[in-house]
Amino acid sequence: MFASIPSAIVVGVDGHPVTVEVHVGKGLPGLSIVGLPDAACREARDRVRAAVLAAEATWPAARITINLAPSDTRKAGSGLDLAMAVGVLVASGQLETPRVHDLAFVGELGLDGTVRPVPGIVCRVDAVQAGTVVVPLACAADAALVEGPAVRPVTTLAEVLTALRTEPAEWPDHPIPAVAGPAPVVADLADVRGQTAAHEALELAAAGGHHLLMVGPPGAGKTMLASRLAGLLPDLTRDRAMEATRVHSAAGAMVGGLVTRPPYRAPHHTATMVALVGGGTDALRPGEVSMAHAGVLFLDELGEFAPAVLDALRQPLEEGVIRVSRARFSADLPARVLLVAAMNPCPCGEGGRPGACRCPDGLLARYRRRLSGPLLDRFDLRVQVFRPEVRRLLGGDPGPSTASVAERVAAARELAARRGVACNALLEGAQLDDAAPLNDEATQSLATALGTGKLSARGLTKVRRVALTVADLAGHRGPLTAFHINTAMAMRIDVVGTRGLAA
Amino acid sequence: MTGPDRLGGLSAADRTAACLVALSYLPGLGPATVRRCHLEHGAEESWFDLVAGRPDRIVPVTDLAARGRSDLPAHLSAEARRRDPVADLGRQAVDGRRVHVLGARGYPDRLVADPMAPAVLFSEGHLAALHGPTVAVVGTRNATLAGRQLAEELGEGLAAAGVAVISGLALGIDGAAHRGALRSEAPRSVAVIASGLDVVYPRRHAHLHAELASRGLLVSETPAGIRPDAWRFPARNRIIAGLADSVVVVESRVAGGSLHTVDEALARDVPVLAVPGHPSAPASAGTNALIYDGAGLVRDTADVLLAIGVTPPPVPRRQDPGPALPDLGPAERAVLDALGSTPSSLAELVAATGRTVGEVSHALARLAAANHVREAQGWYEAVGARTAAR
Repeated sequence: MFASIPSAIVVGVDGHPVTVEVHVGKGLPGLSIVGLPDAACREARDRVRAAVLAAEATWPAARITINLAPSDTRKAGSGLDLAMAVGVLVASGQLETPRVHDLAFVGELGLDGTVRPVPGIVCRVDAVQAGTVVVPLACAADAALVEGPAVRPVTTLAEVLTALRTEPAEWPDHPIPAVAGPAPVVADLADVRGQTAAHEALELAAAGGHHLLMVGPPGAGKTMLASRLAGLLPDLTRDRAMEATRVHSAAGAMVGGLVTRPPYRAPHHTATMVALVGGGTDALRPGEVSMAHAGVLFLDELGEFAPAVLDALRQPLEEGVIRVSRARFSADLPARVLLVAAMNPCPCGEGGRPGACRCPDGLLARYRRRLSGPLLDRFDLRVQVFRPEVRRLLGGDPGPSTASVAERVAAARELAARRGVACNALLEGAQLDDAAPLNDEATQSLATALGTGKLSARGLTKVRRVALTVADLAGHRGPLTAFHINTAMAMRIDVVGTRGLAA
Repeated sequence: MTGPDRLGGLSAADRTAACLVALSYLPGLGPATVRRCHLEHGAEESWFDLVAGRPDRIVPVTDLAARGRSDLPAHLSAEARRRDPVADLGRQAVDGRRVHVLGARGYPDRLVADPMAPAVLFSEGHLAALHGPTVAVVGTRNATLAGRQLAEELGEGLAAAGVAVISGLALGIDGAAHRGALRSEAPRSVAVIASGLDVVYPRRHAHLHAELASRGLLVSETPAGIRPDAWRFPARNRIIAGLADSVVVVESRVAGGSLHTVDEALARDVPVLAVPGHPSAPASAGTNALIYDGAGLVRDTADVLLAIGVTPPPVPRRQDPGPALPDLGPAERAVLDALGSTPSSLAELVAATGRTVGEVSHALARLAAANHVREAQGWYEAVGARTAAR
């Protein structure tokens, strides 16, 4: 009359074990679900009943109570359907209790008894407390990524019943659909012609993990450049890959294998706060920033994003994690991204070029005021891009290939790893002092810049990090020289300052 | 309330001035109509007619009403009743500011015969600046470094030759011209501004505004306390043109506001001079077009002095050989060549020189340290580009 079936739910990118307890007893026939189910979860009763009948089992004419333990956390979504159906069958005596020992069930049911895929399969399988987990066939490839429980893919509830009625259980032998990892079709950097400076900026960003802001008129190729950045980054380490895979799984995507290449996400500028940083309903879905975890987040038309949304990015950029808190629970969503942003310099596109920009000062100021200083400060690299001349587009030499740049990037990241960090952008205080000593000339350059107010104290650290990456890429060893410092400073233009020098 | 009795304590001249000032404050009444009221109907007469609710007796006002603004006269009357001309006049003459009435003593001679001379004018500073020769130096607000440097040179050179430099106190060329003129030993710098004399606009020129008030001359037809509405800028341009013996345009895009000053100058037979630029430079498109249309060409102060018939001062011109270029490396030379006279970004210089970002950045930093190049917001400009090009 009682059954207890393990399953799991997803909150943020973490799976949480849930025990589906089913009691079938005397009383008016009916089914109630307790334990804080959300709407989709509560609707399970109709799906479960139809699916049980479709599997040619009997729906008990008795009082059925389903408790989702622990009963004080909210359960969202339909992933518990299969566990409920099995629980009802066990509790009503149609299946023997020992047969479901050490088995967990995850999956949504259709009215015809089909077992449907659910989001977050990786996180759920990771969390279930059982030796074997029964999952929808469509999710099997993802579920198999998790080390631990054995995975039994099924397509219908009837298959589950058949397997559990035989001794020993004869699970259907579905070939796990080998979803070929989506071959990352990353366009080659060599396609972008006539943009030498932007190429070098991309290389620096990839090698040092420096956030990059590109300022330039429409048609300068900012989007093309940004989309090639992910291709320059090295393959993900096993840990990072697993984190990224969990995020993608939690967000509902069929990952189809481990995410081994850095993801590239380019949300539109109308994205809401929740879409970008995550949150929303009880499941706390990861947002675009988390989807870009371990990869590249590209914000095109930076100035068009809602200022509040942009400011919400500051904390995750600093800490590499987003803490989404709601009244009842909170979740830590991973968010270590390489941020690339692009913006038009001004409404007329000339970007305040002295003598050519037609924008009135007030308009220019308003346009740029949308970007808060602290956010702009997060960009270690701020460069201008321009529309290349036609002859360079058509005839010029192709830029360096993605492969050749990726090789240099990997070498530079190797150096960073020896300093104990993943990339130079993460070097802090003493580490930075050790890794990037300055020679006299370089110190002089920095002192001048600080003295004239061109550089702030915070900017100083950033310039040193970038300069170190410049040196790493150039194969330079030993103290940084003025050459490296000057390069780093030239790639850090003042975007919001006033136009003209002494107007 | 206002009435003949309230004005009774004033002299006849002050009564006229008070009424003109009060008329200038009325919203909807522009300088042209105030001028007509003054000349055709009489300032005091106009004021009393307005206050007494008889605006239909004032022909200039009824003319305005006939042009589709039928509610204006009643509106003006209502506004006028709320004003106190004596207090309005009192507000003007504080801190050494003066009120000049067209047709009365003290009104600048240069404007008396002007077809659109303002009926009332306010000034602060040294009026003597307007007694000698005058040249207006105008141009775009968003000017290149080279343009601002030349404007400053012209300002300084002209002032040193005893020529008053007139401009509009705007950002860019205007400000540079004033600054240059103030640098000379006998500062002769005249700013015709669109706001009231006590309103600083643009705020970035607060210092320049104060210095002009004490060492140069500030002129405006806008009464105290009034912010510069957009229409006041073109209106003030006619005063610049009216005060100047010649107008020099340093930089202007094709549709620049300084070309409006040129139109006003041409309407007054004031010769127009222009500084040429490279055909591809947007900042010089307007001035090049002026030269094509027959404006005199200006390369330096001497060209301007020649055009207005002033003998250059006997003191030899300060020989400014431009920044010396002693030990420039090949990268620096290449960058400086590529920089030319148009402001460029780092990316453009990298593309133009074919060198790496590092080489170009380092070269730029060295050039900036030696003061051959200046940078703002990622735009690099050669210092003294025009001088070098000559």
